Parts: sequence; structure tokens; C-alpha cells
Amino acid sequence: MITLLDICLPTTVFVLSSILTIPAVKTIRNVRHRGNLLKLCWFSAVFSSAAAAVANLTLKYYSQQAIDPYVSLPMAGGSSAIFSSAFLVDAVSIYMAIIFMAVSAVTFMFSLFYIDSGEEFSERYYAVMLMVTGCVIGTVFAGDLLTMFIFWEATAAGSSFLVLYNKTPRSLHATLKYLIMIIIASAFIIYGLSVIYALTGTLNFWAAKRALMTLQDKGLLELAFAFMAAGYSIEAAAVPFHMWLPDAYAAAPSSSSAFLSALVDQGSYYVLLRVLIYILSPPTVLPWQLIFAVMSALTMIVGNLLALTERNVKRLVAYLCIVDVGYNLVAITTVTPLGIMGNLYFFLVGGISTAAAFMAVGILNRMGFKTLDEFFGVGRKAPLTSLALVLTIFSFIGVPSLAGFMAKYIVFTSAIEANLSWLAVIGVLTSVIQAAYLLKIVNTMYGKKPVEESKIKEPKRLLIPVFILVATLIVFGLYPAPILNLINPVIEQLTFIP
Amino acid sequence: MPNTLLSTLLLPALTIPLVYILGKKSPKAAAALIAMMCICDAALLSTTVPVIINGKGHIYVESYQWVPALRSSFTLFIDGISFLMAIVTLILMLAAAIFSIDYMHEKKGLAEYYALLTLLSIGLVGVFLTSNLLLFYFCWELMLLPAYFIIGGWGYREPYRAAFKFFIFTHAGAVFVLLGIGAIFMVTGDLDMFHARSALMMANPELVKWILISLTAGFAVKMAAVPVHMWLPDAHSEAPAPMSALLSGVIISAGAYAILRISLGTVFPAVMATDFASQFLHGLTIFGIMSAFFGSLIALVETDIKRIIAYSSIAHMGYVLFGLSLFPFQEATIGTVLHLVNHAVSKGLLFLTAGAVMKRLEIRDVREMGGLAGQMSTTAVSSTIAALSIAGVPPFACFMSEFLIFVGAFRTVKIDGFYTIPVAVMLIATVFSLAYSLRFLSHVFFGASKHDKVADVPLLMKLSMVFLAVLVVAFGVWPSLLIQFINVTFV
Repeated sequence: MITLLDICLPTTVFVLSSILTIPAVKTIRNVRHRGNLLKLCWFSAVFSSAAAAVANLTLKYYSQQAIDPYVSLPMAGGSSAIFSSAFLVDAVSIYMAIIFMAVSAVTFMFSLFYIDSGEEFSERYYAVMLMVTGCVIGTVFAGDLLTMFIFWEATAAGSSFLVLYNKTPRSLHATLKYLIMIIIASAFIIYGLSVIYALTGTLNFWAAKRALMTLQDKGLLELAFAFMAAGYSIEAAAVPFHMWLPDAYAAAPSSSSAFLSALVDQGSYYVLLRVLIYILSPPTVLPWQLIFAVMSALTMIVGNLLALTERNVKRLVAYLCIVDVGYNLVAITTVTPLGIMGNLYFFLVGGISTAAAFMAVGILNRMGFKTLDEFFGVGRKAPLTSLALVLTIFSFIGVPSLAGFMAKYIVFTSAIEANLSWLAVIGVLTSVIQAAYLLKIVNTMYGKKPVEESKIKEPKRLLIPVFILVATLIVFGLYPAPILNLINPVIEQLTFIP
Repeated sequence: MPNTLLSTLLLPALTIPLVYILGKKSPKAAAALIAMMCICDAALLSTTVPVIINGKGHIYVESYQWVPALRSSFTLFIDGISFLMAIVTLILMLAAAIFSIDYMHEKKGLAEYYALLTLLSIGLVGVFLTSNLLLFYFCWELMLLPAYFIIGGWGYREPYRAAFKFFIFTHAGAVFVLLGIGAIFMVTGDLDMFHARSALMMANPELVKWILISLTAGFAVKMAAVPVHMWLPDAHSEAPAPMSALLSGVIISAGAYAILRISLGTVFPAVMATDFASQFLHGLTIFGIMSAFFGSLIALVETDIKRIIAYSSIAHMGYVLFGLSLFPFQEATIGTVLHLVNHAVSKGLLFLTAGAVMKRLEIRDVREMGGLAGQMSTTAVSSTIAALSIAGVPPFACFMSEFLIFVGAFRTVKIDGFYTIPVAVMLIATVFSLAYSLRFLSHVFFGASKHDKVADVPLLMKLSMVFLAVLVVAFGVWPSLLIQFINVTFV
């Protein structure tokens, strides 16, 4: 029997440890010897207890023999139930929680080495990071639109501090832009939610969906959809709402960019998926496919073209995040089990590959290589970092034996299956453009003579998390079955779409 | 042995780390290890020969669980055509590895070079051995990565430029293959070539038509058919000679093999009954003629030693396309497969000899060469054998296969009037190939000597050239050695 405690435990662990982190790191800083080791111990304790909480929930969920696979738990019963927060466990949330746990642990490890704990305020950085992870996992287990909204806005607000960390004029500017966009988005979403509440009298996923299915006049629902779609698209950075993302991710310290792209970005797709597929599920509730098909085509084209002209490598990786939104939207738009499978696989692979790319580029940025002109001959100067970056790049291009291929393959196949062949064709053509600008990076890294021939010492510690991610890309590229097996229960639960 | 085919892929995979570690200490030993690996792999493959020859209609298959969610399993199979292509790949890999020892010895980073070469062999052998389309695509793109890095890292002039062109062109082709594979999965729900063939029969012919076009267009890029040939001259001429031999020998042949096996073998039967069938075949003929003429004519005026050979590859892929367009006729298809094998060996040899010449003279313009026959006699003899084979002169290898293609063509003319002119035109094209081959030989090896005291290349390079030269002659005199494999498996 799953209780409320089981569901809330992962989030609670993160939030509590986030509060405890500030005094803990401050104390550790005062200890002269083995400070790093102590810090590592503290954070591995945090992550292992959170992992234990998620594992506990997973085991309990899969061992239960209920007829209804959706376990919904409101905080309060009776007549006030519709106002109270509710939590939900189903196969999707379990899957998302697992991959978020795993990826956040690796990106956190990177931040731990990247942001030196000797720095003032670094403890706040770690604390915010843990808090954001907790909120993302909270979003995943949210059972009604309002709870999801609250957790998600907390995530977004927390992320802005991660962008701000360096406190340079550029990062201030980017954070401001990010915050403004987020506030506009939340205003839109709140407006949409209130319309849905007015129409149905509830915000609970299932109750709202049931009420919307029998709705006669869909005019107001379309209005609500327009606002919610715009709001959530801003947060997912789909074209034409993408402007904030490159600024924010390029101005943030690389550890933040890696973390944000792996968790917050993927979380925003998850929110989009939850709302579009599980609540506004077409064709019974609202046929919204065409709008999103157009938007995904635009995102793929514009994102890739912007990246094609970009010279700053970190910004280029940020554009890759936008391009990934496009591929994700293709899969969401198909509304087929195969598409959802592709989506969920993409959440993992896209997160890992963008995080790995940001990390590798972050290491190279630290060595002083920022633009493509400075990347001349980097392959020989920093061979290990370059190897990691190149493998990630090939995963982005979609070369088989790296996980990016399998993700793209499932996405495009699902598009063909859903009679959206034109979208698949645009997808593969833009992925050729993608191959062109990404190979340009490889060419400059290996093909051009470096300006000076000195070799640079690579930070071995920072490379550990990068190579963990790259190894995952290779393993799941060659043998994706374990992940697809995890996704399988989700597909079996998708009984409400044809 | 139950896991023969899996072992043929695992063996190179396990060799990669060994090659890398050994290559750090002694590159020679790494090359020797690759040679050993090729021989062992070929021996492993040969154990399936009795099944191929005797098992009428029975195909040797091995299947392992892989991605059940996408209804894909790790299926490997072998029949005569696959066997020949895989063996010729290993033969060329063996020659390339031995040739590399002296050819590459002053280059840097040889450990990486040999490791990439081994990785390449997995992709190449895998392409010919799998019947699962997803796995096929895996291997198809696995050829690309190591080839990209070998051309870029160890090529001439601006190698990464050529490598970039190679990657983008073939990757763009590959995404169309991917679209086709996705559509096959959508229509049939199965990614096995043999299961898909029957399932596609039930599908809407209009859709199948587009699948066929998309797949064939993608494969044609790898094959470097005109007008998507632009990557080939750069990639082949800038790559180091052993890699050129592999590129021209097997990588472009893989494109032709894929058209035969997947476009024509799996998808084509579903549209056989419609008007589109003959239009499609005629289209292949026209592209074949274009490639044959374009390649031969440029080869006739080109002055760069490796670009001549590269353009001749385009011309020969033209013959192959022409042969494929005669698909319903057994002789032509047997001839085509035979030509793939013969061309691979001959062209591999020709590139190695060109590499040997370049190694000694360090120039590339054929007009500045001459009279090398006296000084580099082994190279000259091997090169002559290769060039004459490419020209289609009996008794060397390519003569027999071209002859078979034309026999098929003449039989087709009786049924389909369309082919009358193409056959005549193709016959004219063969004259051009004789012309450029003779021009190549006379410029490089005969005439007045322009260079003094050019020593012949080291023993191991000679050895690998002689090895291939013997094969070219042997395949020419004894074609039935190869044909027996193709005969029994032809469906």
C-alpha cells in the first residue's frame, strides 16, 4: 500500500538536505584536512537516501496488485479535496523519477568539482541545486494541475539562481530575461488553469479529463488551451518562445547549464507531455496535433539554422537544447505509443547528451577555448575532453551505436506511423544540417593546426562525471533494451489513446 | 559451431583494445594482429561454406535478443552473396593492414589508426551479415565513423575537408535509408528483411514505391552514382592508400549490395506487378549510364594519380547499377555480384600500387611520372594487372563479370526494347575504360624515365600487392570458384 509519505519522501529528502547543506558545507570548509572527502560523503549520503526513497516507491508500486494502475492520493478528503494538493504515482512518474535521480546525481558530482567549495556562497549553490532537484521530482509526482504548477514554478524560480551564480553583467541580464519569461509563462498558465477549473470544477488530472471529455462547447477550452500551450511552450523553449534559453544557458556556469539542460529542460517536456497527452488527450478532448506539429517543425528548422551560424560553442550547445525540443515535440505530436516511448527515451538521452556536452565545453572554456576560432587543434591539446565532446556530438548527429540514434529513430518512425511523414522528412533533413555544423566543430578540433603547440593539463576529477555520461550513451546506444523495458509499463498504461 | 556469425563480429570487437594497446608499443605488431584477426575471421566464416553450398534454399541464420520493444532482434545470416562480400572485405582488410606497416610507418598516432581500422571491419562485415534492418543501419553508419577519422587524421592536403564532405554526403543519404526503414517498420511491423518481403506484398503499392525510392536514393549516395558522386573523388584521393583501397573496394560496394539485397530483394517484389517496376529499373539504367560515362570521361583527362582511379570507381559503379537494373535476369545479377567482388580486389590493388608510387616519388601528377616499370618492377606488374582488369581485358578478373552483365543485357533486349540503346552505349563506355587504364599505365610506368634511382617499395608492401594481384588473375581464370556461391543462393 502506497502512502502519502512514500510519495513525498524523495522530495522531502532533497528539500531537508538542501536546508542542512548550508551549515554542513560551512562546517566542512573550516575543517582543514580532507574537506573534499567529507563533502563527497555528505552529498553521497543525500543522494543515496533519496535513491532509497525512490527505490522504495518503485518497489511498492510494482508489487501492488491494484486494478487501477494510477495511485492518486489527495492531501485532504471530503468536500475540500478538490482544493487540496494531490499526488499521483503511475509508470511515467516512476520512470521520470528514476532517470532524474540518476542524471542529477552525475551532474551534481560535476558541479561539486566545478564550483569550488572554497568559494563564498558555493554552499548556497549546492543547496539551490538540491532544492531544484526536489522540486522537479515533486512535479513528477504531482496529481493535479495546481500542484504540478506550484512545483514547476518553484523549479523555474530556483533555476534562475543557478543561472545567476557568477553575478557578471551578462548573467544578470540573462537571469532577468529568464525570470520575465517565466513570469509571463506562469501568468498564461494560471489563466488557462482558471478557465479549466471554471469549466470542470476540478483540477485533478483524471476528474478534469473526464469532465472535459463530455464537454459540449469547446470554445472556452480552446482558449484555455491557447494560454496553457503558450505558457508551457515558453518554459520548454519551443520556437517562437525560445529566446531566453541560449542567453540563460550560455551565461550560466557550465555546471548549471549541464544541470538545467538535463533536469529542468527535460522536466518541462515532461510537464508538456503530461498536460497534452494525459489531460487534453486527442482526439477525444481536443485535437491539438496540427498546432504542435507546425511548432515542432519550426523549432527544428529555426533551432538548427541558428546553431549553424553560431560561433560561440557554449551557445551552440544551448541551441542544441532547442533543437531537442523540436524532436521531442515531434514525438508528442504523434500521440502514439511508439511516439511516447520515443519521448521518454529522448528525455533520458537528450538530458545526458546535452549535460555531457555542456560539461565538456565547460572544461574547455576554463582552459580558454570559447569560440570556434579558438577551438583550433583542441583535439590534440586536450585529448580526453575532446574525445568526450566528439562522442557526444556524434550522439547528437544520430550516429548509431550512440544513444542519440535510437532516440531519433524511434521519434521519426513514430512520426511516419502517425501519418506525419512530412514532419519526419523535415526532421531528418534538419538533422543533416545538424550534422554539418556539429562536424564543423569536430573538424576545427582535429583538422586545424593549434595556435600554440603546448599541451594543457586536463582536470581528471571533472572528467569522471563526463565519462560516466558518455559511457551511458554508448551502452544504451548499443543495448537500449533496459531503458525500453522500464518504459514498457508506461506504454501498457496508455490505454486511452488509439 | 552454433555462434559462428556472432563470433565473426565479436572477434574484431575484442581485438580493438588489444590493437590499441599493442599499437602504443609497436605499430607493426598491431598491424600483424589485424592481419591475424582477418585470417581467423575468414576461417570462421568459411566454416559455413558447406551449409551455403549444399543447403538448397536454406539460409544459415543466427538470432539473438536485442531490442524487443522495437521488435528487433540481433539477427545474422549468411548466404553466398553475403559470404563473398564479407570474405572480400576481410581480404582487402588483410592487404590494407600489411600494406600500412611500411606505408604509414613515419606517421603519428598509429595506435589509433589501427584501432579505427579494426572498428571499420566490424561495420563492414556486419553490413553484409545481418538481416535485421535496424542492425543493418547500425553497421552501415559504423562504417562511416572510422572512415571519417582515418581520412581526416591520416589523409593528404586538407584531409578533414574531404572527410567532412564524405561524412555529410553519406550521412544525408543514410537518413533517407532511415526514413525507408522507418516506413517499412510502420507498414510491416517487422524489421527482418525476409519477413518484411512477404509483409510488404500486402501493403499499398503507392507507399511501397516511396519506400523504394527513398531507400535506393540513400544507398546510391554511398555507391557514388552520378549525380550524388561529389564526395568520392575527394575522399578517395585524400585518404591514405590503404583506406582508399577499402573505400573504393568495399564501402561503395556496400551501397550496391544494399540496393541488391534491400531495395531489389526486399521491397521491389511488392511493386513488381505495377508499372512502376519497369520505370524504376529504367531509372537505374539511366543513372548507371550517366555514372559510367561521367566517370570514364573525367578519368581520361584527370592528371592526379589517385583521382584517375577514383573517377574510374564512379564509372564502375555505373556498370554495377546497369547490372542491377537488369535484376530479373539471373546472368546479369550473378555478373553484378561477381563484378562487385572482382572490382573490389582490382581497385583495391590499383589504389595500393598508386600509394606505392606516391610513397616513392611524393608527387601526384601523372604527367611528371614515367618509366617506373624498370625501377619498381613488382609495383609495375601488379599495377598493370589491376589496370587491365579494370579495363575489362581477359583473362583478368573484371572481364568475366562485365561479360556476364552484358550477356544478361542482351537477353533483356529481346524482352524489353528500352534496353537496346543503353546496351550499345554501355559497350562504348567500356572502350573508354580501356583508354583511361592504358593512359594511366603509359604515363606512370612506361615511356622515358623522369626520375633516377627510384627503389622499389619494401617487402611487405610488395607482398600485399602480389597477394591481391594473384587473386585478380585467379578470379579471372577461374570465375566459377566465385560463381558457385552466387548460383545456389540466387532467389
